[in-house]
Amino acid sequence: MKSKERVGIKGYGAYIPFQRLPSTEVARVWKGGGSGPNLEKAVASIDEDTVTMAIEASQYAMKMAGIEELGAIFVGTESKPYAVKPTSTIVAQALGQHYTLAADLEFACKAATEAVQVLTGLVGSGMIQNGLAIGVDTAQGRPGDELEYTAASGSAAFVISKFDKDAIASIDCSASYVSDTGDFWRRAQERYPRHLSRFTGEPAYFYHVEKSVRNLFQETGLKPSDFTYAVFHQPNPRFPVEVAARLGFTAGQIKTGLLNPLIGNTYAASSPIGLAAVLDEAKPGNKILLASFGSGAGSDAFSFTVQDAIEKSRGVSPTVKSMIAKGTKIDYSTYTKFRGKLTK
Amino acid sequence: MKAYVASVGLEKVGDHWSESLLDLAVGASLKALDGRKVAPQQVIVGNMFSSAGARQEHLGALLASSLGLKGTPAYKVESACASGSTAFDVAYTMVKSGAIDSALVVGVEKMRDIEPEEVSLALAMAESVEYTQFVGASFAALNGLLARHYMERENVSRDELSALPVLSHANAVTAEHAQFRKAITPEVVSRSAMVADPLRLFDCAPVGDGAAAALVVNENAIGRAKSGLAEILGGAIATTEFSVYERKDMLRFEATEMAFKRALEQAGLPASKVGLIETHDAFSVVAALSLEAMGVSKRGMAGKDAKEGRFDLDGDIPINTFGGLKARGHPVGATGVYQIAEAYLQLTGAAGKNQAKDLDYAVTQNVGGVDTSAVVHVFGRAR
Amino acid sequence: MAIQFWRIRDRYYRLMGNRCDDCGARNLADKDMPRTGKILTHTQLHEPLPGFESEVPLNLAVIELQNGARVLAQIVDTPQEKIETGAKARAVIRRVRVDGDSGQILYGYKFVVE
Repeated sequence: MKSKERVGIKGYGAYIPFQRLPSTEVARVWKGGGSGPNLEKAVASIDEDTVTMAIEASQYAMKMAGIEELGAIFVGTESKPYAVKPTSTIVAQALGQHYTLAADLEFACKAATEAVQVLTGLVGSGMIQNGLAIGVDTAQGRPGDELEYTAASGSAAFVISKFDKDAIASIDCSASYVSDTGDFWRRAQERYPRHLSRFTGEPAYFYHVEKSVRNLFQETGLKPSDFTYAVFHQPNPRFPVEVAARLGFTAGQIKTGLLNPLIGNTYAASSPIGLAAVLDEAKPGNKILLASFGSGAGSDAFSFTVQDAIEKSRGVSPTVKSMIAKGTKIDYSTYTKFRGKLTK
Repeated sequence: MKAYVASVGLEKVGDHWSESLLDLAVGASLKALDGRKVAPQQVIVGNMFSSAGARQEHLGALLASSLGLKGTPAYKVESACASGSTAFDVAYTMVKSGAIDSALVVGVEKMRDIEPEEVSLALAMAESVEYTQFVGASFAALNGLLARHYMERENVSRDELSALPVLSHANAVTAEHAQFRKAITPEVVSRSAMVADPLRLFDCAPVGDGAAAALVVNENAIGRAKSGLAEILGGAIATTEFSVYERKDMLRFEATEMAFKRALEQAGLPASKVGLIETHDAFSVVAALSLEAMGVSKRGMAGKDAKEGRFDLDGDIPINTFGGLKARGHPVGATGVYQIAEAYLQLTGAAGKNQAKDLDYAVTQNVGGVDTSAVVHVFGRAR
Repeated sequence: MAIQFWRIRDRYYRLMGNRCDDCGARNLADKDMPRTGKILTHTQLHEPLPGFESEVPLNLAVIELQNGARVLAQIVDTPQEKIETGAKARAVIRRVRVDGDSGQILYGYKFVVE
């Protein structure tokens, strides 16, 4: 999919909460020792949720973009604090934006990339000048479930604008693939999601991600070696490495954007935070491949080209690396208190 | 026209499980009215949170009708923890001006019918709902912030601050209407539970029920008889920036400064003549800053002065002679009237074992909020 | 409850306010406040108001913003030893009050020590 008019990213920001739960803590409580697949995961504080983290990342993105008005705000999340009452209007209010389209999108872990695609259409068609796409989640794992090692919190936001000299990256093309595949779900009144364990792999993650990326290659004529960086959705440290290899990417290409070992799976923010980490260090001319995955299931693949203006964006917002470095370890009991699993 | 306190009535401060808010108010009223056969022309109730504490408003009419004072104007005056003294000030100014000749002032608070956290919320309503309550800050929190600022900026030690509650407790031992009649040491204060760091439990006045009444009269009401009277020589209310944290100098109790100055001016009395002060020690730090605002102590020196005995019953200037808010107790809307009743007992020689010697003039200082409202009255022996 | 806070949500979300420097009156147009300042004093509260039980102990501070305005706020995500007078603090947005399981969530400023 390509827009008629060129569209770009003008600003971005990520937010990773301060607390880290080492996977050894989950293992200590539930398995009696050992460790999980990742080292640590980022845990939102007791007073943080998708609203607050969306706003934090958005403020950075808006500051970098240096724009005044947004024509659309989309919050991609599966952990809205309200079942009915939009998250996007609270974000809009906090950003001082009122004459704007605002909506929450849900598609498990890929709600943010579809927000980028929708905005590409709105901006590319000239309907709006600038839009904000946010991926954010406070992912929940049932205590003791294997998801609990990785289900993490974080956000990333991107200002999508008409392409001009201030664009830090152009959005060159995207391709999607969806099918009805119930690998992971949460029913309306349930607190924790359920999943079908190994079924989340081959028929879900790998099948859809490979489809969308190959589709993108076909549409653009690009091949893995054309990209300096590649970022994949990262439900655990293993899947993105495996899918990258299958698609012909090297370990070096995915290294910068592979954050699961350090922060876990931030769901709708997972591949977007990876993209933010890549943008933090990418050089003008670099091409970036991004592929999300959402259970249920689908994948959106993108090709971006980094532009000269990226050099001016340095230092405006804290880098993903600096936010990861700032984290502090908590134990399992603090984690249960913070995430509402222990109430007074 | 001269105005006087002609009699007072005090209920013991504490846990009145068997008495209602009205029972307490009636009890104190009857004691005051029994002491002097004057029919009050108005009944003025000082109360802060009867709506939260007892789900009862309209206290003026409630009390007047229970006292059989049909036809008498009656109403409630509210100004947070300064409600009692503010109600008294309304009575004083009317009686002094001759608009009326007598008024019954009753301070009452029922705090024990609700749970401690509800008390905390009711008290916090004296502060901004949007900016103080909103962030979860209780009254103790504001005073904790103030205490740290005070100790850090003025180099005040833990023991110096503790000297103030120690003094109040010492005076309460022989005060029949006091809630806690037990002496304490500085160690008791410094080892008590942390409430709002650095303030500990014994820095804070307790929760309790209470009622105090005072009959205010002028010469038209009592003629020439001067026995058992304390003259009200001056009174003033002042307000300042609402929340303590928005003041340029948080450690300056400007409302108290202003009210104290104006009340003394009204009384035509130099500060040096003040022989006793009932001050508002809701928190140790509030007592310290109040004493410093009234010029009794230099900045940062109130605790040290207390430690050296300057404020003892036989010291330079006795304070909180029946235990103050800390030990006599702090049934918030009643507190101001307790202080005034205590000044009356001192000036009429009725203070018993707590009697201050050679006393001519006494001052009461009652505050609402963290010195947001301050009410000061000056009393003298009737001559 | 939610309504009285709704009307000033911009102040909570965006740290806005107004106050006359001369007389302290607050009837001017709201302005954006600087988002950084320093701790003037602080306390750790063990018995906060109802609704804050799960956050005990609550760290509260008076923060003097760069323009001299003062704000009372919670300090979060900061090791206890770093909460000290004079420390530099930066505004963040957090849940401030939550009205039980079914009521509304109120958002507003809190501060972190840098």
